[in-house]
Amino acid sequence: MDFRWDILAEYAPFFLKGTLLTIGLSIASIIIGTVLGLLIGLGKMMRNKLLALPFSIYITFFRGTPLLVQILLIHFAVVPLFTGSTNAIAAAIVTLSLNAAAYISEIFRAGIQSIDRGQMEAARSLGMTHAQSMWNIILPQAFKRMIPPLGNEFIVLIKESSLAALIAAPELMYWGRAMQGQYFRVWEPYITAAVIYLVLTLSLSFLLSRLERRLATE
Amino acid sequence: MKKLKLVSTVFMVAFLLILSACGTSKTGGEGEKTLRVVTDAAYAPFEYQDKGEVVGFDIDFINAVAKEAGLKIKVEHVGWDPLFVELDKKTADLGISAITINDERKQSYDFTVPYFLSTNKILVPEGSDIKSAADLKNGKTIAVQNATTGQEAVEGLLGKNNEKIKKFENNNLAILELKSGGADAVVADNTVVEQYVKNNPKDKFVVIEDSNAFAKEFYGLMMPKGSKLKADLDKAIKEVIDNGTYAKIYKKWFKVDPDTQILKDQQ
Repeated sequence: MDFRWDILAEYAPFFLKGTLLTIGLSIASIIIGTVLGLLIGLGKMMRNKLLALPFSIYITFFRGTPLLVQILLIHFAVVPLFTGSTNAIAAAIVTLSLNAAAYISEIFRAGIQSIDRGQMEAARSLGMTHAQSMWNIILPQAFKRMIPPLGNEFIVLIKESSLAALIAAPELMYWGRAMQGQYFRVWEPYITAAVIYLVLTLSLSFLLSRLERRLATE
Repeated sequence: MKKLKLVSTVFMVAFLLILSACGTSKTGGEGEKTLRVVTDAAYAPFEYQDKGEVVGFDIDFINAVAKEAGLKIKVEHVGWDPLFVELDKKTADLGISAITINDERKQSYDFTVPYFLSTNKILVPEGSDIKSAADLKNGKTIAVQNATTGQEAVEGLLGKNNEKIKKFENNNLAILELKSGGADAVVADNTVVEQYVKNNPKDKFVVIEDSNAFAKEFYGLMMPKGSKLKADLDKAIKEVIDNGTYAKIYKKWFKVDPDTQILKDQQ
């Protein structure tokens, strides 16, 4: 297979720009998604079934429908509703955050429920409120257990941000497709994009394993 | 450790078997072979899916040509980008999808004689201040379908990879972007935008023609480089145009008579 390095060199600045946007989209969505995920996870765990219902519905919807459809809906229908015009980057961040939040909330729920009931009882008998015990005792312990599944989710999120190319958000995959469209060659753009995604996800795995080791207690 | 090796060997063998099975199923007996025709069935009225069936002007046309040439074909929807890969890798024999013949594509693929005349036109909302292709340069955002001549035409005006050009997967998404206020205009083949305006009068879009800025384009059937089908297909296409079948199909889908003289001049 002949590999045309010249067209790759020509598109290198675009790939760089795209990669930066992909990183930006991913970081923003990871942060927003994690915060939302925590709130939704806690919401779903509420004793009052009626109050917990909206959170369950949220998770069912975002986990049960294709991200592709969510991205198109939010880009073409939801964002224009608020701003009057489309904004691909905003739509990408919103969709990825909302989608990730649904998965992350379940990770939070599993992590929190994996902590022995006695921890909460002990914290409460020390005089902490429910919220204090949750924040100071339960969550730190749960978080340690949640790192591997969270890592999975973040990696999936980075890769799925490539769907934003569909709505013409100029991220990594968009430039890959633009290069493909320009030269009618498939392997140069797509393999390059794949390698960059791999580097991004590998770096993230590395960071997470460092974090995991730092938090290790035994 | 031994066990691990055994397991991995079994996996490898299974994997190779699957691979080889895939490899052989595509090629098959020569002679009475059914040709695999690939298309991107999201381009009404040229080709689109009607209840799961690929239909359209191109489909009727290629069936007529195949009948004329005595070839058996099976049309399959694979999408625009995969279409080029399939022909490049020779996993498909023919591509028909309103593909414009141009020099760039000719470097990697073979084309038959032209069978359709088309030009790019501009789709804008009613009352837009865009009146010609030159107006697109005044900081307007333009939505196009990636890897089409519409994209090329706009890049010719604004420069390659200009930020004001938004490239979409298909024309429907590009038009949706215009509708949602994310773009000021869409540049695409005349038949597509004209058809859209006709089918969606509520959107209040108008089509602008600029024959000085956008050149005439001709569609051809696309084949892998060095395909032996070219001679037969060229002959069949000329025959289908000459005997009136072409005009009948054209009238069925576009409701007007074709200008076959232009096509004949190109042959």
